[in-house]
Amino acid sequence: MPVSHVIGLFLDPKGEWRRIQEKNYSVPACIFGHTMILSLIPAVSGFIGTSQIGWQIGAGAPVKLTVSSAGQIAVLYYFAMIAAVVCVGVVIRWMSQTYGASQPLSTCMVLASYTASPLFLIGIMQLYPLLWLNFVVGLPALGYTAYVFYSGVPIMMQISQDRGFLFGSAILAFGLVTLVAMLAVTVFLWGAGFAPVFTR
Amino acid sequence: MTQGETYNYTVVRRFAIMTIVWGIVGMTVGVYIAAELAWPVLNFDLPWITYSRLRPLHTNAVIFAFGGSALFSTSYYVVQRTCHVRLCSDRLAAFTFWGWQAVIVLAAITLPLGITTTKEYAELEWPIDILITVVWLSYAYVFFGTIARRRIRHIFVANWFFGAFILTVAMLHVVNSAAIPVSFWKSYSLYAGVQDAMIQWWYGHNAVGFFLTAGFLGIMYYFVPKQANRPIYSYRLSIVHFWALVFTYIWAGPHHLHYTALPDWAQSLGMVMSLILLAPSWGGMINGIMTLSGAWEKLRTDPVLRFLIVSISFYGMSTFEGPMMSIKTVNALSHYTDWTIGHVHSGALGWVALISLGAMYYLIPRLFGRELYSLKLVEVHFWVATIGIVLYITAMWVSGVMQGLMWRAVNQDGTLTYSFVESVQAMHPFYVIRFLGGLAFLSGTLVMAYNLWKTVAGAQAVEAPIPAPAH
Repeated sequence: MPVSHVIGLFLDPKGEWRRIQEKNYSVPACIFGHTMILSLIPAVSGFIGTSQIGWQIGAGAPVKLTVSSAGQIAVLYYFAMIAAVVCVGVVIRWMSQTYGASQPLSTCMVLASYTASPLFLIGIMQLYPLLWLNFVVGLPALGYTAYVFYSGVPIMMQISQDRGFLFGSAILAFGLVTLVAMLAVTVFLWGAGFAPVFTR
Repeated sequence: MTQGETYNYTVVRRFAIMTIVWGIVGMTVGVYIAAELAWPVLNFDLPWITYSRLRPLHTNAVIFAFGGSALFSTSYYVVQRTCHVRLCSDRLAAFTFWGWQAVIVLAAITLPLGITTTKEYAELEWPIDILITVVWLSYAYVFFGTIARRRIRHIFVANWFFGAFILTVAMLHVVNSAAIPVSFWKSYSLYAGVQDAMIQWWYGHNAVGFFLTAGFLGIMYYFVPKQANRPIYSYRLSIVHFWALVFTYIWAGPHHLHYTALPDWAQSLGMVMSLILLAPSWGGMINGIMTLSGAWEKLRTDPVLRFLIVSISFYGMSTFEGPMMSIKTVNALSHYTDWTIGHVHSGALGWVALISLGAMYYLIPRLFGRELYSLKLVEVHFWVATIGIVLYITAMWVSGVMQGLMWRAVNQDGTLTYSFVESVQAMHPFYVIRFLGGLAFLSGTLVMAYNLWKTVAGAQAVEAPIPAPAH
């Protein structure tokens, strides 16, 4: 099962990347067997957190979203995460020639998917949607993601360390763009009728 | 050696040193006002150091003093090196240095006293505006006069960007600062009502587009190929995106006035032009990243390359974010929130500051004929600064989106879900994180100042001979 590599990525990132590289997963295996499973964590946690637990501002009663509103947002959120991973995978493939790496699309997709693992796992904190706490916990996760990513690029793309750093930075630039695009699309959807509905 | 056979490095050196000095001053004020937002008690009830007076001081210091000095320094350096000729007037070049410093000092005095036109990024009152105009026209004379005397027929693309920046800023400044004085330190804008707002944001957005983008692209197009020791990835792309940028930017100002009294068609036009701006911004990013792509062998020995890579990444990100935020639906949420502040700083810290600091790491050792004191410290600076930027931007994203959502949340009966002060309370933790991010960035700059100080201490100023024409 592709998803079984997640624990290894925490214990021994470089070794696990090598094992992933040897497996040669196909694009569907990686998307269905890993990304679509792990991205359920933040989507479901977010749904439960915003509709059942809610968050408190000041002294008032906790604010929650209605179940249908939270459900709608969770579904969109789920597919947006998968789309973002696929986009980054395609961009890695597009740039790989320039950086002297000629790996098939499947390898690029695997790199994009596994890189996002720590972020998907930390998504569980959305069960308790206290924004500043989520932020403080999320930042180290982001940092670890960057570490997993930079150690994975040279191994997966089979290029030297230094080249991997440059390639990694270029991918990160597009990753940031994807992030901003997701933010903008989210806000656009809110404006287009998918706005959160509060219960208070 | 007689004059005319060497480059004028004196003015380049002076501006380079002042870049670092004003960088530290401007960033320190920024960190202080960030602390004031988190802990308002820090204004000690003194009017001169309230947020409202220090904020324009911060923006003027980082944009015009720090960024301006970096642009003067690099443009004077690049125009001489790429035209193989000394600046056309040493005296006028020296005047631009002292004149510009005088403007900055006057700003530092008048703004805390509350003397302001209230126009954002154009707060300085009319006597200072006149001084700016004189200095700027002298700058234009020196720059274009030098190009006119060039010994290389071809005008290198960096000079196109510098030239566009100098010309457009002259036009923007003169038109927007037109005012009727009522006393020596008070004037009223020549324009009224929404026209005044439109002129202001035509100026304001193009101060971003030409001062903070075109000028710094000039820096990128010289220093990135130099540091990577390779030609530009696509020279054709650089010319295409130059014209695309120059033509499009000037129309994008109305996106600052979405949902105001500005006619709706003007708002929509501004939004469409902002979206078209994606094209030139990506042209610049692709050219920068691809030029650096072959320099990987140098990465281990040259930490300055990292500054350039990351600055181009942030250029790509912030110029992608800008058009997104200009979409009316997105703007309805993002406007007036911290998201805007985060966007500005991903451009200002990530792009403008990092590429300027990278250029100074290149320039200052060469101007004094020394090797950098410590590459290790450059590396430390890089990581501290990058962490600072990430903290800053992410804090402002979360805080901004939260503000936007809270302000427009309504209950079933149409009443507001949150009072304003509840949103202020919810922002507090993010203001603390933003302060820490800014503090990290400032610390990085202090490390750089120490490193450069050790590099140049006791060094002799270098005179560089102009090479003989190749033909």
